[in-house]
Amino acid sequence: MDLEPLLWIIFFLMNMGLIALNLYQIVSLSDLEADYLNPYESSSRINHVVIPEYLLHGAFSILFLLSGHWFFFLATLPAAYINLRKFMKREHLIDVTEVFRVLSVEKKLRIVKLGFYLLLFVLVMTRIYAAGTFSVVMSVFHSDNEELDIRSSILEF
Amino acid sequence: MGTENPNRANFSQRPSTTPFSASQNASPFSSSSQVAGAVASSFRPYNPLPSSQIPPSFSSGPLAGPEASGFRSVHQVRLSDPAGPPPAPSYGPSQTRPSQRLPSPQFSSPAQVPPLWTSTGERPVVAPSVRPSAGPFSSTPVSFQMQPQPPTIPLGSPPKSMNTVQRGMNVPQSSMDSPFAAVSTNLQPSSPPMRAPFPAARGTLQSAFPGYPSQQYNAVPQTPPVNSVAFPPQQGGSVAPPPAVSRPYIGQQGSYVQSPSISAPLGMYSQDRMQHPASLPHLGTAQGLVEDFSSLSLGSVPGSLDGGIDSKALPRPLDGDVEPKSFAEMYPGNCSSRYLRLSTCAMPNSQSLASRWHLPLGAVVCPLAEAPESEEVPIVNFLTTGIIRCRRCRTYVNPYVTFTDHGRKWRCNLCSLLNDVPGEYYAHLDASGRRIDLDQRPELTKGSVEFIAPAEYMVRPPMPPLYFFLIDVSVCAVRSGMLEVVAQTIKSSLDTLPGFPRTQIGFITYDSTVHFYNIKSSLTQPQMMVVSDLDDIFVPLPDDLLVNLSESRTVVDAFLDSLPSMFQENMNVESAFGPALKAAFMVMSQLGGKLLIFQNTLPSLGAGRLRLRGDDARVYGTEKEHTLRVPEDPFYKQMAADFSKFQIAVNIYAFSDKYTDIATLGTLAKYTGGQVYYYPNFVASVHKDKLRHELGRDLTRETAWEAVMRIRCGRGVRFTSYHGNFMLRSTDLMALPAVDCDKAYAMQLCLEETLLTTDRVYFQVALLYTSSSGERRIRVHNAAAPVVADLGELYRQADIGAIVSLLSRLAIEKSLSYKLDEARTSVQFRIVKALREYRNLHAVQHRLGGRMIYPESLKLLALYGLALCKSTPLRGGYPDVQLDERCAAGYTVMALPVKKLLKLLYPNLIRLDEYLLKASFADESENVWKRLPLSAESLDSSGIYIYDDGFRFVLWFGRMLSPDIARSVLGEDYATDYSKVCLMERDNEISRRLMRIIKKYRESDPSYYQLCHLVWQGEQPREGFYLLANLVEDQVGGTNSYADWMLQLYRQVQQNA
Repeated sequence: MDLEPLLWIIFFLMNMGLIALNLYQIVSLSDLEADYLNPYESSSRINHVVIPEYLLHGAFSILFLLSGHWFFFLATLPAAYINLRKFMKREHLIDVTEVFRVLSVEKKLRIVKLGFYLLLFVLVMTRIYAAGTFSVVMSVFHSDNEELDIRSSILEF
Repeated sequence: MGTENPNRANFSQRPSTTPFSASQNASPFSSSSQVAGAVASSFRPYNPLPSSQIPPSFSSGPLAGPEASGFRSVHQVRLSDPAGPPPAPSYGPSQTRPSQRLPSPQFSSPAQVPPLWTSTGERPVVAPSVRPSAGPFSSTPVSFQMQPQPPTIPLGSPPKSMNTVQRGMNVPQSSMDSPFAAVSTNLQPSSPPMRAPFPAARGTLQSAFPGYPSQQYNAVPQTPPVNSVAFPPQQGGSVAPPPAVSRPYIGQQGSYVQSPSISAPLGMYSQDRMQHPASLPHLGTAQGLVEDFSSLSLGSVPGSLDGGIDSKALPRPLDGDVEPKSFAEMYPGNCSSRYLRLSTCAMPNSQSLASRWHLPLGAVVCPLAEAPESEEVPIVNFLTTGIIRCRRCRTYVNPYVTFTDHGRKWRCNLCSLLNDVPGEYYAHLDASGRRIDLDQRPELTKGSVEFIAPAEYMVRPPMPPLYFFLIDVSVCAVRSGMLEVVAQTIKSSLDTLPGFPRTQIGFITYDSTVHFYNIKSSLTQPQMMVVSDLDDIFVPLPDDLLVNLSESRTVVDAFLDSLPSMFQENMNVESAFGPALKAAFMVMSQLGGKLLIFQNTLPSLGAGRLRLRGDDARVYGTEKEHTLRVPEDPFYKQMAADFSKFQIAVNIYAFSDKYTDIATLGTLAKYTGGQVYYYPNFVASVHKDKLRHELGRDLTRETAWEAVMRIRCGRGVRFTSYHGNFMLRSTDLMALPAVDCDKAYAMQLCLEETLLTTDRVYFQVALLYTSSSGERRIRVHNAAAPVVADLGELYRQADIGAIVSLLSRLAIEKSLSYKLDEARTSVQFRIVKALREYRNLHAVQHRLGGRMIYPESLKLLALYGLALCKSTPLRGGYPDVQLDERCAAGYTVMALPVKKLLKLLYPNLIRLDEYLLKASFADESENVWKRLPLSAESLDSSGIYIYDDGFRFVLWFGRMLSPDIARSVLGEDYATDYSKVCLMERDNEISRRLMRIIKKYRESDPSYYQLCHLVWQGEQPREGFYLLANLVEDQVGGTNSYADWMLQLYRQVQQNA
């Protein structure tokens, strides 16, 4: 009962983290495209955050599973599968030698991912709201009842 | 009539009423102009001498033509013609040009009546070519008047005046007897009205591109010949034998009608249209349409293709690659086609048009191509002004910029921005708006120019030429003799390394450990240091491993002398290649330079060790097939990226007889602008000369260091992808740590805007590099191409060399991520799509039944496509080529300049025994050697043939060869095993002559050393391996023969057409 809001706060932070990592990669790729970054720097920046992103996403999914949020778990599953497959095929890192050839594809992929995370963000927010308000309302009621009880007892006195 | 003549370019025959046909080139670029008739290959620099003289009396009856099929080469009639440049109303005999007398009337072949030509609608081809006879005529002024032949020319001009007869042309039987056989025009019924649209179309083109060499139609109407025979004067293009292939506007149509008995020219010179005398007899059916394409008949009757193809009529590049002459001539400011070749010398004006051009649209750049003595790139030094560039798009000043505002401003030709002219660069404009100092400004007149770059083009002081050697000294290297040859070759090249006295040099050797050599100048003997900690490699004495060659020369000499003996007893079989590579990187990263790696075995220790992936037959044909051809370990890609970052170019020399994973090692060369040399089964006694030559050339050829290259283009066009050995540093900047004349780069472009509004697109290639002398320079190549709205024009201007180069690079790249089969199919698919599009273009107006049509410029597309599918990188499957060899060939082709690629795809096959036996060899010039079609039919068992693909020679000895020749060439052991015989000069004339020929061939193509393999007819499997498998026109092991391939293409083109 008390864990629920905390859990949603964690989901929220994780989701924010994923969005941030994706955004960072997209910005790096755009910079590369616009010639603000050289391919070495750009790909090393991206490659630094790819594994953290995958781990974070994995944790995100597993946490949903463990906490019994089936819908969210299923929603994050395809992305997790894609990540895993890329990792197994060792295609998850940007290849600095061929970066310009894959640039547009990689960028699109990340933009799609970003869109997905944003959608998830909205869902998580609603759940936070729901969970948060519910418990807050409940707690208010609860305390109100107690106070009422106290008052009534006082009044009884 | 089974075939039409494939040698015709643009194949349009213009039936004209009179026997005289001629064309005139009306443009100022007369040198590229056409001759009215077929131009024989040996006359490449022909002058546009218009008007051919044609004998009068042809009967219009059934035509019989000498089927000159026996003539391999293009035979054409050359007629000399009297044409006065200025319009002369009357002809005097003085205007008659003496016709060139050429001694070979080739009409002796039996005449045969073409069976079906009238009914199938195929017209006999006639290609009387005009012989450029007199000097004054070569510069035909822009006057469009052709003058009919003066009456004074005797009708009976001897047949000598022609030198060749185009094959397959029909000459009326009657003409055979007459001295006019030379004319060999085919009689053609003509219908004048049909032709009308054509000239008009031309006219518009002309006006659209000023300065474009377009043709004018000149018709001199004359009294119709008595017999009312129409001669189809061909368009200029139809003339073109293979060499003339890519000329634009080849097909000029000018037809001169003239009757020999004419007494005065009528003086009707219409420029843009043909005029047909009203009295033209209308002899034929609807044959009057000018055909603007070449075609190949596939069978005598449309629909029944089984009749087959006359294999002799198939187009072949027997004259080698023909550069698109027009390209440079069309726009004088264009650079030579050595440096830049566009896949079509015209740009489509809209995306929809571009999408109908199914071939790659792009360019092949060879920025440092070797130029002949007189045509070196001029060097310009802007001392005080700084290099003049556009403020916005950074284009360098070039011949296409325009000066305005009295010379105070110049307009960039790429982005149209108006820039200020710096005060020091200012010059007045003359009345025509040109700068008065134009003749002193090569950058404003020449297509290629080199600027000396000032300090702002340097991020560090120009680097010295630097050569670093990474040499495998394991037991295989020592045993094969590689080590010794390499040491000797390096030593002998030391004097000629570029950049003396700044050149730097260093060495590392490795087996299971890495050996460093201190070759500091203060030492007398080199010091060797061994590092065996492979996991954490470090560089001892980082300062003394790389030294100035001129200072340390004695130490280096001592080192190279002792190198082979030092490892004589080495029994180490391991190879710590990865750590050695890292060590070399650490040593070189300060300066950059060239790293030459001599690798004998599969890297087996330390980082970057590779496993024996093997060439597994079972993998072929599966989804995993391509993984064999891509690098396995990311270590190498990462190293390659680092090398490129620090301006290090890597050249790989691989020698192993076993699998060495060239696919992985080659990435080092691929991304650093290097090259892969592969010597399978290296044995010093056999391959010594080859290695020596190629390593020597690698070390001593002129090299551009720490270069970057960018190609800019005008608005509306954008380069999208780049193909070759380099690494992209930004979207359009190629990093090339070392460039030399043997490297070419290809790129594809696309249209950014749906509609191009400009009438030209400009390109500018800029290569910023450090020369070996330590000067920072910018080499700039400029080009302009007209924007066209007509698909036919796009195809007409196609450059087969650039297209094939792009296609092969794309196919090889495709083979890295797909199956070989898919790569081959994609090539075929593109060819079919292109030909189908072209067919659709013409199908409306022409009856094409049973014919395969293609633009003259692309007549070799099918053949090269076939050759590409049969080339080493793409051929067959597992059993056909070893994996390493395939990968090495792939890396090589990715860097090959156009000419060498075409030669590799369709090698020369030349019969030698006649030359060897000939008493005098005064005519040993290149032209005399006749290239033969690459099929087993060309091989006569009583001859010696040489097969030359630019990388190796195969000498093929026929079984019936006279023993005398064999003995004199090979010595007494001529009958023994040819694999052991070595070719050397013997003390007799035949042998000397052979060696001279071979030497000459080698000198003509010095990038690689062509090792000579001797093959005896019937000696399997060597014959099959060296020669028969490479005869691209033959059906070898499940592949198509040329004729089958054509049929297959034809059927596919027909589908959904």
